[in-house]
Amino acid sequence: MSEAYADAAVSAGAPQAPARVFTETLLSVDDISLSFGGVKAISNVSFDIKQGEIRAIIGPNGAGKTSMLNVINGFYHPQQGRITYRGKVRKKMRPNEAAKTGIARTFQNVALFKGMSTLDNIMTGRLLKMKRNFFWQALYWGPAKAEELQHREYVEHIIDFLEIQSIRRTPVGRLPYGLQKRVELARALAMEPHLLLLDEPMAGMNVEEKEDMSRFILDVNDEFGTTIALIEHDIGVVMDLSDRVVVLDYGRKLADGTPDEVSRDQKVIDAYLGVPHE
Amino acid sequence: MLYREAGQFKTTYGADQAIFPIPQDRWVVYAVIALAFVAVPSVANEYWLQAILIPALVFTLAAIGLNLLTGYCGQLSLGTGGFMACGAYATYKLSTAFPEMNILIVFLLSGIPAAAVGCLFGIPSLRIKGFYLAVATLAAQFFLVWLFNRVEWFYNYNPSGTITAPPRTMGGFMVTGPEATAEARYLVALGFVALFALLAKNLMRGRVGRAWMAIRDMDIAAEIIGIRPLTTKLAAFAVSSYVCGVAGALYFAIYLGSVETAAFDISVSFLVLFMVIIGGLGSILGSILGAFFITVVPILLTNVPEALGLPIGVALAKQLENIVFGAMIVFFLIVEPHGLARLWQIAKEKLRRWPFPY
Repeated sequence: MSEAYADAAVSAGAPQAPARVFTETLLSVDDISLSFGGVKAISNVSFDIKQGEIRAIIGPNGAGKTSMLNVINGFYHPQQGRITYRGKVRKKMRPNEAAKTGIARTFQNVALFKGMSTLDNIMTGRLLKMKRNFFWQALYWGPAKAEELQHREYVEHIIDFLEIQSIRRTPVGRLPYGLQKRVELARALAMEPHLLLLDEPMAGMNVEEKEDMSRFILDVNDEFGTTIALIEHDIGVVMDLSDRVVVLDYGRKLADGTPDEVSRDQKVIDAYLGVPHE
Repeated sequence: MLYREAGQFKTTYGADQAIFPIPQDRWVVYAVIALAFVAVPSVANEYWLQAILIPALVFTLAAIGLNLLTGYCGQLSLGTGGFMACGAYATYKLSTAFPEMNILIVFLLSGIPAAAVGCLFGIPSLRIKGFYLAVATLAAQFFLVWLFNRVEWFYNYNPSGTITAPPRTMGGFMVTGPEATAEARYLVALGFVALFALLAKNLMRGRVGRAWMAIRDMDIAAEIIGIRPLTTKLAAFAVSSYVCGVAGALYFAIYLGSVETAAFDISVSFLVLFMVIIGGLGSILGSILGAFFITVVPILLTNVPEALGLPIGVALAKQLENIVFGAMIVFFLIVEPHGLARLWQIAKEKLRRWPFPY
């Protein structure tokens, strides 16, 4: 066992609160296969995400983690398999339809609206909740204004929650990377999602920023009760944050279970560290 | 010193979301509007109104229209001239078919065919972007001008092929036709610009504007927060073309009085695009500044040598004007690619701190 892995094992073995138990399944993917031409990105993967848990998807580069999120989120349409979301088998859908069903996400490379302020970026997360039509909007009066202000209030609540009050009016293009990631999380939260997909929320961050982000993820899960599925490479973070972990490698599922179980799995260790040549 | 926000506390989100949250800005804007409506028509002479202010206002409206599409929604369009022609010919057909209809209503209705045509030519935007989309909208420009030239029904089988604004009154004042005074026409143009600038600003600071800007800045991320690219882009084309159509109606009936299709050729599309770029993409104020800049500067350049007593010929003056104007545009794009609106913003930032250097 190498040192890097030993570290992860230590953090996993650190004193922890008793494991949380979740019963209701929010989303399950069954036997999903996705290929691009001859390249198989995902083959026959099944797992489920329970209501209220933090579920990590890990695996080496190219394992199909992001593809999996793209499938859940409607960007990719798998050739095979089915997705059951909130008790119903889901039809093939576009990302904007998935958004309507309460699935929000953040991207591996920050995907904010660069020309807009932090506040406007987060307000876009409320778009689906705003109902007043075009003509009311053009008048910006009466019900349309009331609606706008009511959503502003909700957004301010999120701004407070994520501690980004001071950058409210700053164009997001000017923010440092760590804050951009936080604004992206804020925008996703503004959608009041049932399921939040986080694609490498801590990539490229320093230790302090990672700690902040971990705290926010736990707080979101705790206070809003949002179910979270996250992809992360920092094994220490994954082991600390998540309730259950699914491990992918070359598009196949290697292991699935609590952080403890997964970290002891020989196949996972082999995938991460390689198999010694005889 | 006068321009300070210190001590101004906003206690409601409503106050914070206002178009001009700073009272000083608000007063300046009220003053400008009052001046434009009251002082200018009583002071300015016929030349100023007809040669400078009316065209500047008409182009402001067109620039607002194009800015909605290009600046806010990020869809490059070279079809502005064509959409303006739609509005102009719709005005002509409507006002000759229904002579009793109030001319203001005619103008407002004239935007609708333009919006429909804009929507139609906006469909390629779902597949193509940037320069390629610009080329697709170029098709609209050439097709529409050709159509209005070729189909005689549009100009009521008039052998000369020109359309002439019929004389129409509004509240007892002649606003179109040869007898309409420059003051009356100026006030109509100003009214339309003020109204549409306000409506456009309202749209852009609310849900609709944010959806359009989201599509502009990153369409993939826009889709995951629930924006439908199809309807959003088509709505942008429709609204933009509507405003351009109304601008075309004013261009024909208020400014020129009688036009041929040549008045709506590709050079108009480029002119409006330059206004938007120089004024500032994604800014209503920018549209206004850009339109005034592009209409006023050539006139200044023609008159400056004369005022200085420099004896240069008309032909030479015209050439000089082109050179200086071209140089100014290039200079601008290098120094401040975000346009006049951004310059204004920087000036305000500096003003807030003046006289301190930090």
